[in-house]
Amino acid sequence: MAGNLFRSEEMSLVQLYIPLEIAQPTVSELGELGHVEFRDLNPNVNAFQRAFVNEIRRLDEMERKLRFLEGQIHKAEVPVRSMDSSLYYGRSRTQQEIDELEERLNDHDARVQQMNTSLETLNKRYLELTELRHVLRETAIFFDEANTRTDDILGGTHREDTHLLAPGGTLEQPDDNEAVERGEGALRSANLGFVAGVIPRGRMGTFERILFRALRGNLYMNYAEIDEPIVDPITDEVVQKNVFIIFAHGAQLLAKIKKICESMGATVYPVDERSEKRRNDAQEVLGRLEDLKHVLDSTRNQRRIELAKVAENLESWSTVVKKEKAIYHTMNQFNYDQNRKALIAEGWCPTLSINAIQYALRGVTERTGATVPPILNEMRTVLEPPTFHRTNKFTVGFQEIVDAYGVAAYREVNPGLFTVITFPFLFAVMFGDFGHGIFVTAFATWMVSQEKKLEKKRWGEIWSTFFGGRYIILLMGIFSIYTGLIYNDIFSKAMNLFGSGWEFHKHGEKWYGEKKWTYVFGVDPAWHGSDNVLLFTNSYKMKMAIIFGVMHMSFGICLNVCNFIYFNKRLNIYTDFLPQIIFLLSIFGYLVILIIYKWATYWPDASLAPGLLNTLIYMFLSPGNIGQKDLLYKGQAGLQGFLLFVAFVCVPWMLFAKPYFLKKEHEKRGGLGYAGLSDENLNDPTAAGFTSGPGDNRPSEDGASSGAGHVEVASSGHEHFDFGEIMIHQMIHTIEFCLGAISNTASYLRLWALSLAHAQLSEVLWTMIMGNVLLMEGAVLPIALVCGFAMWFVLTVGILLVMEGLSAFLHALRLHWVEFQNKFYAGSGQKFQPFAFQTILADTEE
Amino acid sequence: MEALFFNVEDGFLEAMVRGYKAGILTNNNYLNLTQCETLDDLKLQLAATDYGNFLQNEPSPLATTTIADKARETLVSHFMYMRANAVKPLSTFLDFITYSYMIDNTILLITGTLHERDTNELLERCHPLGIFDGIAALCVATNVSELYNTVMVESPLAPYFEKCLSAQDLDEMNIEIIRNTLYKAYLEDFYNYCQGLGGPTAEVMGEILQFEADRRVLNITLNSLDTELSKDDRAKLFPTCGRLYPEGTMKLARADDSDQVRMALDSYPDYKQFFDLPVGSERSLEDKFFEYEVHLNKRSFTRQFQYGVFYAYLKLKEQEIRNIVWIAECIAQQQKERINSYITIF
Repeated sequence: MAGNLFRSEEMSLVQLYIPLEIAQPTVSELGELGHVEFRDLNPNVNAFQRAFVNEIRRLDEMERKLRFLEGQIHKAEVPVRSMDSSLYYGRSRTQQEIDELEERLNDHDARVQQMNTSLETLNKRYLELTELRHVLRETAIFFDEANTRTDDILGGTHREDTHLLAPGGTLEQPDDNEAVERGEGALRSANLGFVAGVIPRGRMGTFERILFRALRGNLYMNYAEIDEPIVDPITDEVVQKNVFIIFAHGAQLLAKIKKICESMGATVYPVDERSEKRRNDAQEVLGRLEDLKHVLDSTRNQRRIELAKVAENLESWSTVVKKEKAIYHTMNQFNYDQNRKALIAEGWCPTLSINAIQYALRGVTERTGATVPPILNEMRTVLEPPTFHRTNKFTVGFQEIVDAYGVAAYREVNPGLFTVITFPFLFAVMFGDFGHGIFVTAFATWMVSQEKKLEKKRWGEIWSTFFGGRYIILLMGIFSIYTGLIYNDIFSKAMNLFGSGWEFHKHGEKWYGEKKWTYVFGVDPAWHGSDNVLLFTNSYKMKMAIIFGVMHMSFGICLNVCNFIYFNKRLNIYTDFLPQIIFLLSIFGYLVILIIYKWATYWPDASLAPGLLNTLIYMFLSPGNIGQKDLLYKGQAGLQGFLLFVAFVCVPWMLFAKPYFLKKEHEKRGGLGYAGLSDENLNDPTAAGFTSGPGDNRPSEDGASSGAGHVEVASSGHEHFDFGEIMIHQMIHTIEFCLGAISNTASYLRLWALSLAHAQLSEVLWTMIMGNVLLMEGAVLPIALVCGFAMWFVLTVGILLVMEGLSAFLHALRLHWVEFQNKFYAGSGQKFQPFAFQTILADTEE
Repeated sequence: MEALFFNVEDGFLEAMVRGYKAGILTNNNYLNLTQCETLDDLKLQLAATDYGNFLQNEPSPLATTTIADKARETLVSHFMYMRANAVKPLSTFLDFITYSYMIDNTILLITGTLHERDTNELLERCHPLGIFDGIAALCVATNVSELYNTVMVESPLAPYFEKCLSAQDLDEMNIEIIRNTLYKAYLEDFYNYCQGLGGPTAEVMGEILQFEADRRVLNITLNSLDTELSKDDRAKLFPTCGRLYPEGTMKLARADDSDQVRMALDSYPDYKQFFDLPVGSERSLEDKFFEYEVHLNKRSFTRQFQYGVFYAYLKLKEQEIRNIVWIAECIAQQQKERINSYITIF
């Protein structure tokens, strides 16, 4: 398979002539295939003026009904049959089937709506009866209490009445028309009427206050809470309500109370004053409630059955509708041909997939039995094609890392390929610990081995980030195990696998090591616990960081050559690549060689070894001279002076060579008068429109294409020559590179810093917790061991694995994005986004 | 100084409101909207704006009232969100904004009760920002003092209402007087509050509220020209925080016809130009006021560290809803020729 990651795939601009009658199945087939990115051929047309707006609107309406049904199903808690993959990839439907589906949806929708309304009325009735039951019960209790204390209340109310009403001077006559309402209750002689009802508990306070003010305190109010939550039939919300009963004096006041009750959202229920009647009412209400409950239950059941029927097909229906909608949205981007008998589509597809597309088109023709097949035309174009990397589940994560920075320009060298190895490696340099690496690897292995099952889980954004990067994490873990072995670190301890190469002898107070042989692999375990371990690891890791950095950057610069050769810009090899690589290598490449040379040399007295940092600094400060103390080899001063000279020569080379040659070339071309001609040629639309691709087997159709052949030729094909602009650009580029060479190299020191921090942190964690625990003795030890280990383990996972891992990840990311990719990567492309049902369905599912 | 501490408490909300403001429809959007043939087209167009899918669960055919309700709902939810996240003094400021809606609702309910409309129907028509505890009980009251003592005494409008207790019966004229007295008290209070806040808030809000006051003065004058309202009573209704006060209001109080109104404005070129309507123009005085208001509100977004943006956002969004409703009405009633008399905001 040629879909390698080194460069993005070759793309072709294709034109499709699709006969109108099979347009919908064709587009649907292409959507299943997912290899074509359609271009919008009517960018200036308003959304609602496009060709297939009515179809989309119809589908919108269907979607709305589906949403309504889904909401109802959700509310009724009917289980929805989840879509299995066969339905997921189910074909889209023909027009007729869509019509049928719409009809069915309308049917279901109407039926559910109707049931809802009847249910609502029933519920409302039920609610009223329940409330009435409560009112009756509470008032009964109240009246019963009142009966037993008749005397008290009578006396009390009388007194109150006269006292409160006398100033107002509106004493009610006992024989007014209210008297009819008054029965034989205990309060008959008290000359009072009453209003009973139900009000939401939250409004109780306001209600009371308003009543008090409106009636100037001339009322007696009692209320009781309904413990049973009452469900509002319209909003389906649970409301807590109170029963209240208000006694007041006189018809006017009672009317006023009723009015206030109504405006405050309370419901007033008629309650008779006669206790017998009340008891009868209560009995009747109970009976009616019972009846209503039966009706309600059967209605609810019916609705449930209906919804269950819908639930069975809901998912597949909504899939179909979504697909159809996507199809018409795509078709809206097409053009009509002159006779309006065919649609003309344009789009990008990978050149390798053209055959697959042809095959799919043929399949559609055969299936539908259409007389005229859809025709695919490959077109020549100067437009910049989109970038398409064929990734698999392993590489996709790494490619995402690169794409997050910027999508590669078309056919540019893709850093994603190298990131697969360099990213986990640089991460591991910072994260190196055998034990931690094992944990990370185990976690990643679990995710990878269970990926089929885990794929379907929706555990939130953080989880999906981890899961999406499972292969990255796996490689990071494996590499960490490797670097952990090199550093000989396992949870900050060392492993003595092959026997240490050092023997220790005691001289006085101190132990001195004597080297017998070289440890087989990685750092000798004897270093752990020695006094000068930090001196050793720091120097080792710092130098290693520089070496990796210079290699990584030089590699990035070298990748430029691939781009220059591929895009036929050979001039840039001599004017950009050569001076850059020479500049970098003559300074930092030389430093790397010095480091290795110094490593390889035996220094009997380590204190006499020259400092490389000083060497580098004095190489700049006093070129050509070198102190006797810093001398590494003969002729060092001369060589260093020469290298510095070369590096300085590279700067004007980088700065002036390219603009100069470009200018010369431009003048030469201009002098010969070619410039205009080549531009014209590119801008000629017929030249592009007529060119039939290799996939076109019906050249006679080309005649039709000339009318509709709609090829936009972007003006990017030829560029305007402006010497000043090029010069400034080159100047920025040069300054950025020269300063960057120094700062980027320094930036790689983060490899050392993080690795040091990681090792130190894990050591601190061990000595502070496990170290102390292991010192204990006796009965405390087991308990302390359990607690201490738990604490150590949690902190190791939380701080060292998760937080440190995250920080190492971010630093590795930075090293790739900034230090590596800015050497060669333009990242100015556009991602290929094919029209594919799979992505559309996945998007809407989120 | 306000730059130093403003963001501690109000920075988030200012960012929110500026973000919301970026979603206000632009001239381009309106051009697209005016090209719509049906309300469904309008829905499609609005779906591409910040309104998003606010109509997606509404069955076709759409009614203009649904569009208006839903649009208002989004605005109210934005405002409520900001109110819920605000702390003093911004929360007080936002409360002040809602008082004007309370006044409108109060008047709506009183008038409705006077005409014996159904209370629930009236409550539905109330602006959701102007709902306060016990507002529903307003329809019980039959005269002004009862109104005050029963309901208003507990509402935030109580201090404003105290000033109109003199009026006794509830009739059309008195209700109008109550409304204007309330507004006068409200505007003056709000104005003083903003001045008390100081800084750029005082400057920006000062300008906006001054214009609001002057607009009321002009409206009261023009509407009362040939009515039984006496000139003294008229003068009493004028808010005293506008730019017209005291000289202009004095002249206006004495005006007998619209020519005298115009003469009274001679020394206020900003306002005078409102009256220079070309003959047969589609724009009314009201439109001119709205335009000027939009201009002021828009300008408030150029200042930072002040509360004016919250007020301005609400007012601009209301104007936008008025525009959308106007366009929707024009489409629904097939009156395309008048569709362009909306007021562009950006």
